[in-house]
Amino acid sequence: MRVLVVDDEPPARERLRSLLAEIPGCAVVGEAATGAEALAAVAQASPDVVLLDIRMPGMDGLEAARHLAHLDSPPAVVFTTAYDQHALAAFEAQARDYLLKPVRRERLEQALAAARSLNRAQLEALQRAGAEAARSHVSANVRGRLQLVAVREVAAFKADQKYVSVLHAGGELLIEDSLVSLEQEFGVRFLRIHRNALVCPDFLEALEKTPSGQCRVRLRGVRETLEVSRRHLPELRRLLKGL
Amino acid sequence: MGTPAAVARELVREDSFFLPDFCGMRTVFLVVLVAELLAFVLVLAGDVSGPQIWDSLALLSLFVQWSALLSAAVLCGLRPWLRRLSLWLAAGVSYLAILVVVAGVGEVAYMLLYSGFAQPGIVLNAHGEFLLRNMAIGAIIGAVVLRYFYVQQQWRQRLESETRVRIEALQARIRPHFLFNSMNTIASLIRVRPELAEEAVLDLAELYRATLTLGDGLVPLAAELGLARRYLGVERLRLGERLAVEWELDDAPQDVLLPVLSIQPLVENAVYHGVERLERGGTVRIAVQRDRGRICVKVSNPVAPGGAQQRAHGSHMAIENITERLHAYFGRRGSLRGIPQDARFCVEMCFPEVRSMAELQ
Repeated sequence: MRVLVVDDEPPARERLRSLLAEIPGCAVVGEAATGAEALAAVAQASPDVVLLDIRMPGMDGLEAARHLAHLDSPPAVVFTTAYDQHALAAFEAQARDYLLKPVRRERLEQALAAARSLNRAQLEALQRAGAEAARSHVSANVRGRLQLVAVREVAAFKADQKYVSVLHAGGELLIEDSLVSLEQEFGVRFLRIHRNALVCPDFLEALEKTPSGQCRVRLRGVRETLEVSRRHLPELRRLLKGL
Repeated sequence: MGTPAAVARELVREDSFFLPDFCGMRTVFLVVLVAELLAFVLVLAGDVSGPQIWDSLALLSLFVQWSALLSAAVLCGLRPWLRRLSLWLAAGVSYLAILVVVAGVGEVAYMLLYSGFAQPGIVLNAHGEFLLRNMAIGAIIGAVVLRYFYVQQQWRQRLESETRVRIEALQARIRPHFLFNSMNTIASLIRVRPELAEEAVLDLAELYRATLTLGDGLVPLAAELGLARRYLGVERLRLGERLAVEWELDDAPQDVLLPVLSIQPLVENAVYHGVERLERGGTVRIAVQRDRGRICVKVSNPVAPGGAQQRAHGSHMAIENITERLHAYFGRRGSLRGIPQDARFCVEMCFPEVRSMAELQ
């Protein structure tokens, strides 16, 4: 069994590593100190199981697991935590297994034997109940590889028929989240300008009028302009005035 | 099973209005009991004797129970409305309600008993006297009963607030998060660096001893800074390079007194909400300065992007608890406040230069 150890504290990783060394049939294939590092390590080492700390700086464990769930064959995930009331309550509610640090060897063996991958709905519920609701990144599976875009680099979300496309400085990414759920998750960071679009005010460059009388916004780093509906125009105008 | 915080909140939510629920089983029973005892007293004190005493008791009981139960019913009905009034207004209105009920019941009783056979001249006199006597008894008993409820509610409230303060004090002390993470660190160090593990165990022991034994005392600044150092020593093992600490102690007098565990929780907040949330970590700065006859301790930390530290619940608890204790010892001269800074969160705790308990008096 190939195991990836993820924890932001060096002694915690050390300890899991030495425990795993004693369990027959287990091999540690990598370590990571943050959620983002963990995703990279999974892509590189393709472990069977990820031991994932919940509380980590930057991208936390719950978010990392949500991104992992996009993979074609995601690794099984076992969460670890020292003490986190909110997260634990959520885990109990979902009847999910987790490890409490310091971890006992027998408990670790048990958890590894029973480990399976979680689906996205379960993970979303877990994260919503945990301390932090909003993700730091959005992600999608692009030809078998996980692609991430930091939320702070996102200029707009635009809904097409089935997917939402994320417009960011580096290009465009299709994700499976719905516009409504994104609006709820990220709150005031994005402003609705149309039934099918949310924009980040930080990226607003100009409001333009087409010859046909339609209003469109131009966003920094994005080639196409986005349509603004009549209903959302006043709020956008107010915001532009304040900038 | 509730957490201590939930228990505390439950206690606080418990009714804070001084009148009990008069429609409740227990209260109604109490009212009936007290009314009956009053009837007994009245009969025993009266000049009726022989077998007639039972008739007298029956009649008086009927009258007293009517007055008492009707008063209870009226207060039960008025209660939701009374709750919204100020204490004195609510007490006044309840008192008035009782008097009106007693007068009403007295009037009806008089009509039923005497109106049939009394003569005109005497009637007026006896009628007036009867009503006045009733009102006087009602006024005295009503006042005693209301006072009783008020005192009982005060006592219950004090008990509740004492419990709450104690629970909060316990919670504001060292976080379980820290304890379990430290245990984990120690478990890993025991194999590779036993001497460091030993050091960590000693530091932890000292910290927990401080939380248990010193209770609510005052300690010298040097001791309190020592606790903060022990705490940071353990955290440093866990977080490694991510945690840096800067001390600016200059000419801080080491012997001034301050509440025990007042600096350590501030430092713990700085680590928990600040440094620990940053991938690259950061520096916790602890500065002690003299400022116009007071000593000011400043603890600051870098803030994680998007992390609003002030609103965090645990941080709030600790700050409230320390503020409460500062006020208890130093009155207005003790203070704790957050100072907004760019990209950092800073709290400043100030207290007068006091070197002995005698100076505090």
